Amino acid sequence: METAFFELRGISKYFAKVIANKDVSFSIQRGEVLALLGENGAGKSTIMKILYGLYKADEGKLFKDGQEIKIDSPKEAMKLGISMIQQHFSLVPAHTVTENIILGNVHGIIDQKLFREEIKRLAELYGFELNPNDYIRDLAVGVQQKVEILKALYQKTNLLIMDEPTAVLTPQEAENLMGFVRDFTAQGNSVIFITHKLKEVMSVADRIIVMRAGRVCGDIKQAETNELELSKLMIGRDLEWVTKEDRQESIDQEVRLEIQHITVQEKTGVPALNDISLALHKGEILGIAGVSGNGQQELCEIVCGAILPTKGKILLDGEDITERKIRARIDLGIGYVPADRSSDGMIMDMSIAENMLLKSSYNKKWQKHGFIDKKKLNQYALQEIRDYSIKAPSPEAIARGLSGGNQQKVVLAREVDNGEKVIVFDQPTRGLDLGAVNHVHQVILKERAKGKSVLLVSTELSEIFALSDRIAILYKGGIQGVFNSAELTTEKIGLLMAGFREGEVSNDAG
Amino acid sequence: MINLLSRTIMMGTPLLFGALAEVIAERTGMMVTAIEGIFLMGAWAGFVGGYLSGSLIVGFLLAMLAGLLVAGLYGWICIYLKQHQVVTGVAINLLVAGLCSFLYRVIFGVPTTPLTVNPLATIPIPLLSKIPLLGQILFNQNILTYIIYLLAPLSYFMLYKTSIGLTIRSSGENPEAVDVAGINVLSVRFFTVLLAGVMGGVAGAFYSIGFLGMFTTNIIGGRGWIAFAICFLGNWNPKGAVIGTLAFGFAEAIAIYMQSIGNSALFPNELFIALPYIMTIILTISRKSFSVPAKLGVPYVKEN
Amino acid sequence: MQAKLRDLLITNILAIVLGIVASGLMLLFLGKNPLSAYGVLITSVVRDGYTFADIFVKATPLMFTALAFAFTYKANLYNIGAQGQFYIGAVIAAASSLLLQNILPGWLVLIITLLLTIVGGGLWGAFIGFVKARYNSNEFLVSMMSTYVALAIMNYLLRTFLMETKAEYPQTDALAASVWLPRIIPGTRLHIGFVLAVLACVGVWVLLYKTPLGYRIRAVGYNAGAAEMSGINAKKIYILAFFISGALAGVAGFTEVNGVQHMLVQGFNPDLGAAGIGIAILANGNPIGIIFAAILFGALKVGGAIMGQMSGIPSSIIELMQGFVMVFVILSYFVRTWLENNREKRKLQKAVAK
Repeated sequence: METAFFELRGISKYFAKVIANKDVSFSIQRGEVLALLGENGAGKSTIMKILYGLYKADEGKLFKDGQEIKIDSPKEAMKLGISMIQQHFSLVPAHTVTENIILGNVHGIIDQKLFREEIKRLAELYGFELNPNDYIRDLAVGVQQKVEILKALYQKTNLLIMDEPTAVLTPQEAENLMGFVRDFTAQGNSVIFITHKLKEVMSVADRIIVMRAGRVCGDIKQAETNELELSKLMIGRDLEWVTKEDRQESIDQEVRLEIQHITVQEKTGVPALNDISLALHKGEILGIAGVSGNGQQELCEIVCGAILPTKGKILLDGEDITERKIRARIDLGIGYVPADRSSDGMIMDMSIAENMLLKSSYNKKWQKHGFIDKKKLNQYALQEIRDYSIKAPSPEAIARGLSGGNQQKVVLAREVDNGEKVIVFDQPTRGLDLGAVNHVHQVILKERAKGKSVLLVSTELSEIFALSDRIAILYKGGIQGVFNSAELTTEKIGLLMAGFREGEVSNDAG
Repeated sequence: MINLLSRTIMMGTPLLFGALAEVIAERTGMMVTAIEGIFLMGAWAGFVGGYLSGSLIVGFLLAMLAGLLVAGLYGWICIYLKQHQVVTGVAINLLVAGLCSFLYRVIFGVPTTPLTVNPLATIPIPLLSKIPLLGQILFNQNILTYIIYLLAPLSYFMLYKTSIGLTIRSSGENPEAVDVAGINVLSVRFFTVLLAGVMGGVAGAFYSIGFLGMFTTNIIGGRGWIAFAICFLGNWNPKGAVIGTLAFGFAEAIAIYMQSIGNSALFPNELFIALPYIMTIILTISRKSFSVPAKLGVPYVKEN
Repeated sequence: MQAKLRDLLITNILAIVLGIVASGLMLLFLGKNPLSAYGVLITSVVRDGYTFADIFVKATPLMFTALAFAFTYKANLYNIGAQGQFYIGAVIAAASSLLLQNILPGWLVLIITLLLTIVGGGLWGAFIGFVKARYNSNEFLVSMMSTYVALAIMNYLLRTFLMETKAEYPQTDALAASVWLPRIIPGTRLHIGFVLAVLACVGVWVLLYKTPLGYRIRAVGYNAGAAEMSGINAKKIYILAFFISGALAGVAGFTEVNGVQHMLVQGFNPDLGAAGIGIAILANGNPIGIIFAAILFGALKVGGAIMGQMSGIPSSIIELMQGFVMVFVILSYFVRTWLENNREKRKLQKAVAK
């Protein structure tokens, strides 16, 4: 048994309100791909941040090639050959690719030309197509990730840690990334990637560490396990999964929401939405698939009224609502669960009850002689807390103190009530643990059963397939096609998401 | 007219010291809202040092030290204690105002005639000052102005062509990226704040021992804030700071000139006194988009 | 919650005490004994009804300027221009009173003047909100600059249109007694403006925490993006918040001109705006807290003035005390967060150990 490349022994980490890691021990060999699997909040990111020197462990030791090491900062981690690419990239959007890569790796006067050449060469070596002069803010997320990887390679890393790397990629881009991982490890380097996606783990990992509630609850070779076993380890119990069979097949034929030839012109000249048309029926879930950044945000925003289209019309139950702004649309019964709840959907520093008021502060139902009827609001909030099993001490609890899943439940509860006719869900389960994901799915199905129209935008294909009656694929602001969900396979949808037109993609590809 | 332009350069000097200081510090994310207090402390210390020692150099050195201390307090509270930058700056400005009057009294008592020192002399540069027009305006100034002639392009070069400049600019845009690259963000920020203290101290001292020759409690009168505004309006770029400074220096030079020829009904003195401030307001309205450093004003907190 | 409140009170009181102690130490530089100086201060403040009442007289305009800063602060906006809005209010108060004092009955003039100062100060402030909403200008800079412009306007008017009939000094004529704000305690300078100030504090508190509008203002202050996404027009809120803020500061001009000075002179109350910010910070933006913090600063002002009359102690001791107190209060914010985090961490470790 050769000495492990890196080893963690007995690592514990406590934060002010939570135990992030407790007695975590595992090792990684050279040339090995290790998957760190677990739900959100399981402690995977934290333990890797300790290895990368961003956090300091409260207990435990670290070893490299059998020698004890101390990693007090990312700089020391890098000296040991460790690099980490986090979910939220550590890139400066306002600077160029070159400037980002040399940050921290250069001293004195900067010879721009020299570095540009170096980076171009390195990129070609790994088959990355990058222009060193591009500004990060102009690059697609998948390309930004390549810049992050290139930065790690520039620093001659031997252990590459990646946190949820495929979250922002198309299936094909994810394939490319996995290819890179295999090439990289074939050279004797190691990769740890943090994920909650079982399929990915089974396809590329050599060994899997499963974490739950801050502890390691499984250390298994990929060849010796399967998805079912892994998922049981991850959540610790069996879950009732939402499956296609559970759903009614029939859809009410009446159209409720019509999006007619909508174009949204951005200042940069390229339209964010280009002449799209969609029809949403009563009692239907229309799934919108696509890689982030292809117009999903704009689609949600024109439905909820945050932006007005440059061309085209929106009709609700036959009525033209194109010119109506957000407040009017709320009154008309359009609910919106945004992708980024902390910036668009909730006020973190206010209480649960106050957050419930957010969209209906103009509504007379909450007012008594001109003042806010606090009693009524609290009662309502309390009811929702019970109905949605929100883990919170009272309606007065501050939103920031709730877990991500519970925060999302608050938004859900509110929007489901506000959205009497249409509800738009944008990435409703991102960052939630499996229990919460299941709960959200059940809520969505319940609303569909009530006859509401649901627009479901998601980058999680499993979610799209599990819930949607019909699926539309969004690519560069245009609709690549609307299909009944039974017609599509992962392969086909992947190709559509990457821009191939319907005629170029045959069903045999599945 | 020549006199006016020459005055512009002279009055613009302290403003540019302050504006450049703000540009560098704000690029790391620190709005040095204590700048008015730094200027004032510099003016006070410069006068005290200059008067008591008889040497202006001592005065300026003391001013730099004083500015450093004030900036250090601001930096400590905002960077390490992570407190609110605007609130802290206002508090420090208030404290410094009280300290300067009080300590002036402690040291000098209540003099019957105002105490004065001889302000900075103009040093004409041989040859260059003989150039018609430009020579009079640009090369017949005091030593501080000549220093700023060098500092301005130097700060531009530093900010855009060196690694420290890249680090500074990145710290205000995405401090996490800098942290992850192994650089201590807090130290970078603190360093630029201290630098702002030194430069601001010199700027303040210009007013007391460089120009007026004495110290009054109102001597700064909002000019620290004008330097702050110039940084903003100059889009956090030394080039813009220079242009902004020329504009404000000119406004101030006109104000002084108009006051010397007395009041007129159509153009009362007060209008010229208010000119720089009105200008600032108009300029904040007209520029459509500013490249504000993304994390300006946000304390850097590692989730630890 | 108990622990948090206890922390708040203790650290604030400690901050105030430390501020006073620090200023006292500075007195040593002058060769004065701080203990005896403070001793005289305390006895002279309480010995005399007039002096004691003066604390509240001084607190009155401070409450208004503090409310002005705190109000926009709740909307995440910085109104640094309260001093200027105060000047505008003062100018309007003087002009309106002088113009109407011989034409209309006193009480009517007072009401009209009050309304005019509200509108005047409000519009002067709303301009800032408008340019913020329309052009996304930096309201910090615009509000700060507007003070200097207001000062210039006031000085100009005092030298020209509003100048006294004697034409000797840049100041207005004295206001007729009919338009003086009535005294509420005879033998003192305490006038009805104080009641107005307290009512304003309560009113602002009710507005912010009990009404839908106040809710919307706070929502915009916490997270303008989320508020906009929820149908709240943040731009309208900016303008409204600055109007109310400016109006509040403007009313301070009314209380000072009609209640205390009974005329308008140059250079009076030059630090109301800054002190108001300090008070708002001390009270953490809470309107009810502002009542007490303003009274504290009023006491510091009266105390400082008395000390200033004692030979050898400069009046700048007031600013010194205010400055020290403010800095210590900011440090107390840090201490409270640190205490809170430590408490949570210890709770956690106890739970883990079980």
